[in-house]
Amino acid sequence: MKKKVFATFLATALTVTSIVGCGGSTSTPAPAAGGDDTAKTEAADTTTETSTEATEEKADTAESTDSADATTDSATGKQTDGKNLPELTTEPLTITLWDIATEDPAKSNQEGAVQRFMADYPNITVNQVHQQNDNYKQQLVVAMSSGQAPNMYIHWGGGPMAEYYKSGFANDITDMYAKYDHPDFIDAAVAQSTYDGKMLAIPFGGLSGCDIFYNKTIFAEQGIEVPETIDDLEAACAKLKEAGYTPFALANASKWTGSMYYMYLVARHSGNDEFDAAYTQENGGSFTSPAFIYAAEKIQDWVKKGYFPDGVNSLTADDNQDRALLYDGSAAMMLHGSWQVAGIRSDNEEWYNENIGVFRFPEDSEAKAAGVPQNVEIGTAIGNGFSFNCFKEDGSVDQDMLDACYVLATQYFNDDTYNKMQMDSGNIPSIKGFDTQVDDPNNKVVVDVFFNASNVQLWYDQYLPASVTEVHKNCMTELFGLEKTPEEIGQEQDEAMQKAIAEQ
Amino acid sequence: MDKSNNMGLAQAKARSTAKAATVFLLPALLLITIFIVYPVVDTFVISGYKWNGISADRIFVGLDNWKALLKDAMFWKSFKHNLIVMVFSILLQIPIGMLLATFLDAGGKKFNIFKIIWFLPYLMSSVAIAFLFIYALATNGGIISSLATIFNGKRTTIDLLGTAPNALYTVIGVMAWQFTPFYMVYFIAGYGNIDTTIYEAAVIDGATRGQYIRLIAIPLLGPIFKTACTMSLIGSLKYFDMIWNMTQGGPSGSTELMATYMYKLSFQQFNMGYGSCVAAGMFILITAIALLFNKVFKVKEDY
Amino acid sequence: MKGNHNINDSTMAVDINSLGKSNDADYRISKIKSRIAWTIAFIFAIIQLVLTLTPFFFMIMNSFRKQFDMLQQGVFHLPDPWYFNNYVEVVTHGFFGYFFRSVIVVAISLVLMLIISAFAAYPLARMSFKLNALIYAMIVAMMAVPMHVTLIPIFKLTTSIGFYDSLKALIGPYVAFALPMSVFILTAFMKTIPREIEESAEIDGCNRYQNFFKMILPLSKSGLSTLAIYNGVSMWNEFAFANTLIISPQNKTLPLALGQFKGEHSMDIPIILSVLTLSVLPMITLFIVFQDKLVKGMMAGAVKG
Repeated sequence: MKKKVFATFLATALTVTSIVGCGGSTSTPAPAAGGDDTAKTEAADTTTETSTEATEEKADTAESTDSADATTDSATGKQTDGKNLPELTTEPLTITLWDIATEDPAKSNQEGAVQRFMADYPNITVNQVHQQNDNYKQQLVVAMSSGQAPNMYIHWGGGPMAEYYKSGFANDITDMYAKYDHPDFIDAAVAQSTYDGKMLAIPFGGLSGCDIFYNKTIFAEQGIEVPETIDDLEAACAKLKEAGYTPFALANASKWTGSMYYMYLVARHSGNDEFDAAYTQENGGSFTSPAFIYAAEKIQDWVKKGYFPDGVNSLTADDNQDRALLYDGSAAMMLHGSWQVAGIRSDNEEWYNENIGVFRFPEDSEAKAAGVPQNVEIGTAIGNGFSFNCFKEDGSVDQDMLDACYVLATQYFNDDTYNKMQMDSGNIPSIKGFDTQVDDPNNKVVVDVFFNASNVQLWYDQYLPASVTEVHKNCMTELFGLEKTPEEIGQEQDEAMQKAIAEQ
Repeated sequence: MDKSNNMGLAQAKARSTAKAATVFLLPALLLITIFIVYPVVDTFVISGYKWNGISADRIFVGLDNWKALLKDAMFWKSFKHNLIVMVFSILLQIPIGMLLATFLDAGGKKFNIFKIIWFLPYLMSSVAIAFLFIYALATNGGIISSLATIFNGKRTTIDLLGTAPNALYTVIGVMAWQFTPFYMVYFIAGYGNIDTTIYEAAVIDGATRGQYIRLIAIPLLGPIFKTACTMSLIGSLKYFDMIWNMTQGGPSGSTELMATYMYKLSFQQFNMGYGSCVAAGMFILITAIALLFNKVFKVKEDY
Repeated sequence: MKGNHNINDSTMAVDINSLGKSNDADYRISKIKSRIAWTIAFIFAIIQLVLTLTPFFFMIMNSFRKQFDMLQQGVFHLPDPWYFNNYVEVVTHGFFGYFFRSVIVVAISLVLMLIISAFAAYPLARMSFKLNALIYAMIVAMMAVPMHVTLIPIFKLTTSIGFYDSLKALIGPYVAFALPMSVFILTAFMKTIPREIEESAEIDGCNRYQNFFKMILPLSKSGLSTLAIYNGVSMWNEFAFANTLIISPQNKTLPLALGQFKGEHSMDIPIILSVLTLSVLPMITLFIVFQDKLVKGMMAGAVKG
């Protein structure tokens, strides 16, 4: 009895949260606009081209406002009316969707998107499951190996996305993406949703940059300017250290945190060239090439000078031990993902406003003089992407379902309501035009860095094949622990990479 | 005639014993077969394939995974870690658990408050334990480093979780913290199970309680002691939970155990075939060690 | 006076020459030695007390703080100010639902597990039949199985029999995984029960089944209660099966409640600690009640003996 009461209570609570995020639309089942395909395709193509330029020029609102999302949310029609989209089935259809939105606000926002979709297409049921982030990869493996894979699921791109595709759990949506309307995603997001020339995912999680958060109060007290070059940064570190501060708050037990320093130093020293070469291990590419050695040596030099906290390899980012070092005023800077803006702000908004500033990773002046681009940035342009697993028993594509998933992912996730809520919670959609709508000064920096990037390199630990990721992460421990030399670390990663390539 | 009748009786008795045994054992065997034996067999089968864990195609590779396993430095390193954990778990958890139980047994009911508080760690989930110890052992503001700073008179950092040799022993300590209370309760029950007439007889013979415990009770606890060791042994050879939450096998693989290694391969690195091989190898090693342990112990028990 | 006497009697860890030879001088020496022994024992007892209580204390203290305060002031600072909203948050996010579902699953699994393991241990401990050693060895070997290898087969099984995403799905694995160790322990316990008890019952005309229920089961009480504690705690905290086999929020058990407060990049540690505090409290209460029963059970055994 009691069990039932609580179940009902919970269900009610869920429904309430979902309704809150719901747009006002009635459930008149009208066919979605099919439209003139060829014309639209051309139109879509031109949009892409122009907005590519637009990004480079960092153009204003008018140019890049997302056309697909200029929703006419009238009280009678669907929010997809009048758009160039596949016509969805009128038969009953159930879609299983897996996300990792266990926590508000992401939870209510993503449930809201699904609710709006189901209200517009009452014959389609979306079975939305919130998985826990920690064990999500395991859950997917278990479900996929048992023939119970969800029809639409979140992932972070990179190596795993390729693996899902190769194993037959991700539809190739290149043609659909070219043919139908979709939000005008930034190029980096499209690139990170693509593997082997095929579009495999629709981004929806917003972009995450990687920048240096710093304590404005400490910088002012020490008379330190925001560093423009790595030399400036080192000078600032020396000064901070002198004054008794730990220059960088880093919790490297998590390993991907230390990797951020490594990735950025490599990127500043060589753009994307050396990493790309090391990734393929062709044409002399290697993790022992100059940029990698430079990055590793720099880091070890900084470790020796005490620029990182004591016991850096024992602190974990998952337990917010790096943030703790900023909060208690013992550390002055922290290179981290831009989600920290939202995180710190929600911990204490007042403190955040008073103390936290952001700057982009300083430039390598020597490399710059040698012509190396200084705007290759690290981060993720898709944040989270949805891939679709819509296949029939015989292995052929279940087009009805795929169409429905496509519409859900492009038009309900990524719609105005959704994006507004994303912005409110500090996530910037990876859609052109949103760079101009950012209020928070720190987020503004993050977005500017991102939108000015010539290329955004996805985190190594997501980009590399999973077996190499493990080695790379261990190397980060050894690097910061001064247990291995830069060369040894490079060789270890080379070996792992070669092994992974051989196994392909 | 007489003899055959006897034989018949003996046979009938054996048959009825077999029947009774079957009835009693059936439910357990059924459940174990479905939920454990079958998956184990499956694991052995998968260990013969190259398989990413999700794809429909598996490539049969025969004994390739096993050959690789024999040469896999990481596997043997994690096995070595498991052995260290095992030795120290037995050396720490069982004697301390025994001491605590003896203390409580000697003190009787008025020591209940000790019993309750001492038991607390076992009630906590691994998530909570991992979190609390990560902070308690932190180089920045953790208990150990703070104490060291006080005693040393200057800022001292003791990095227990971030450096290779320390981390494993730290984790062993935390495991002992978590599991010792269980062995304490286990030994209390063991004491409770000893026939009280033995105690009475000892008292009549003029033994003090201490003598009774040392000379009579502890030897009588032999079998209980042995099962406790076996449990600790197996438990520490397949340990996963708290280590996963605390170090994920780091720093640089220094707390990698067979189970964490297997988990990473199977579920994070798309290498289910080899991961299953690791699991199967782990199963064989643990069983072998447990059997060996029981054999060695049996000899001693016979005196 | 009485307490003092007891202490005199209970010399620990100090060597006493031999049994039964106590004259006055020896008695005095043993009294002093005993005092020293008890002092040492108490020092260790207190150290152990501090070691076990400290993390607990901090778990509870930090659950009354805001994350920012906790991170800024350090984990080992007392709450300043005290912040109770974490608990409000946890309770309004369906905590009691998770809680009752956990109670149901654990109670059913535990009872089944105890019965089935006692059943299985009885013939293994007290009957001689052909396959005894083999079956026993097999069951013990099953203790060596790492649970993660069973995830996929059990997931397949659960979906194929239609138990997926229901509380029923958890009972099978919970019982099965507790069995090998429980049978192993109970067999050892049952072996310590004197054979004469059974024989005398047999003379009284009890058959094996009556024997089991009337004699063996009651005498295995202390073993069973140990098992109940051991497995009850691990079932209560079990995460991997629950996370794999259950997906709807209205079916999730307590260990999954943490997930609500843990996002991809964010984790509110004090809230998580308050969930953990709330989930451990009933366990503590049960143990306090239960351990009293445990003592009573032992007493009952003593009277009979």
